[in-house]
Amino acid sequence: MNRDRLLLYLYLAGILAATLVHDPVWLGAGLVLVLLLAGRDAWRLLRRALLAILAFNTLISLGYALMAWWQELSPWLTLARLNLRVLLLTSLTFLFIARANLFRALDFSKGLTYVLGLAYSQALTFRRAHEDFRLALASRSLRRPRLMDRYRASAAAASWFLEKSLHAATQSAQALRSRGFFHD
Amino acid sequence: MTELRYRVVKGADTTTPPFAIGGKALIEATGISHRFGSKEILTDIGFQIHPGEKVVLLGCNGSGKSTLLKILDGLIIPSAGRYTYDGETITPASLKEAELHRRFRGEVALLFQNPDAMLFNPTVFDEIAFGPRQLGLADVEGRVRHWAEQVGVAAHLQRPPFSLSGGEKQKVCLAALLALEPKVLLLDEPTAALDPRSTGWLVDFLSGLGVTILITTHNLSLAPELGSRALVLGEDHRLIYDGEIQGLLGDMRLLAAANLVHTHRHRHGGVEHRHSHVHDWQ
Repeated sequence: MNRDRLLLYLYLAGILAATLVHDPVWLGAGLVLVLLLAGRDAWRLLRRALLAILAFNTLISLGYALMAWWQELSPWLTLARLNLRVLLLTSLTFLFIARANLFRALDFSKGLTYVLGLAYSQALTFRRAHEDFRLALASRSLRRPRLMDRYRASAAAASWFLEKSLHAATQSAQALRSRGFFHD
Repeated sequence: MTELRYRVVKGADTTTPPFAIGGKALIEATGISHRFGSKEILTDIGFQIHPGEKVVLLGCNGSGKSTLLKILDGLIIPSAGRYTYDGETITPASLKEAELHRRFRGEVALLFQNPDAMLFNPTVFDEIAFGPRQLGLADVEGRVRHWAEQVGVAAHLQRPPFSLSGGEKQKVCLAALLALEPKVLLLDEPTAALDPRSTGWLVDFLSGLGVTILITTHNLSLAPELGSRALVLGEDHRLIYDGEIQGLLGDMRLLAAANLVHTHRHRHGGVEHRHSHVHDWQ
């Protein structure tokens, strides 16, 4: 078994463990372990993971806290469990992606490698496009863009990404069908 | 009547520099290198561009043309080297200075290869007016109508830019940049989304603009129509040519080294042979 596939199995075991463990202390210990494994990249990994989950978790946590307050329950245990688990899963995923070669990890399955290849090429294309959208607004802004301009630019980018995703998905499905990948 | 700093001169040939080359350079790149992670994007690039010059930047896909334009627009900071615009060193710190930022963004305009990246306003009118409104220029409406007419999108002013064709979007982007009357136009593959008729229009339009232009293309046959001087980026991301376009076109070895021409088997009057040559493609 190659190193990357071993990392994949360890990652999947980690994900499973993080969903089965409910004690916040153990979830916290898991997070510390992941950060230790990240070594010098620990703070950068933690920052990325926190930024990635910030909006979603804040919304969910606030909603739950309000509901608990309404029902006169203590929200702390559930909030700690929820937030630590999501942070642990996200950090573990970022660490795995940074350390493992996904193509080598999945090379036992032709189908999975195809799907990964498609997803990876789309991600690269979209990353470049996202950078262009950001730079184009900066290039055209003689002063700090107004909030409305930022909203409009974000909406235009989101609409473009949605349209491109649909188009790319159709193209990919047609290409795969053309190459005999689907047998429908 | 809108006061405009420059206008399109119909029939003028400004591919030949209108000003004597020499004196103070408008754009100066010295020893510019750029890396993205472990990947080399540009290596030790150095050149000067003087006011009024029309320069064509050639190179195969992935040679670093778009990155170089973004560096010259102050959007990407190179890993090494120095870039000055009109005597001012452009760095993240210098662009934080409000006066330089405003002047630089008003005078140097970049047309992105993907026009969709630049369009976000509800109508074509608002898109073209975006820059002049930021500058607080007088007679924004007159300015918008003037440039919309010049590029041929006046009929679409009330339409959302997203509903236009690729070529029309490209023209709207161009009008949006020209509405600020920049001193320097950086154009990234502007013919890529254009049909042959629109490409012909663009060549005429640019040749009539009295403004400094750096334009990228990998369409070799179009290059002499767009400017008189060529910069060529090689596959090793170094500048391998800086000089007259005509001189470049005669140097098949250099063109082959830059991956701008190709060799394949073909027939002439029943005789089959191979040699390097150029194909026209968009």
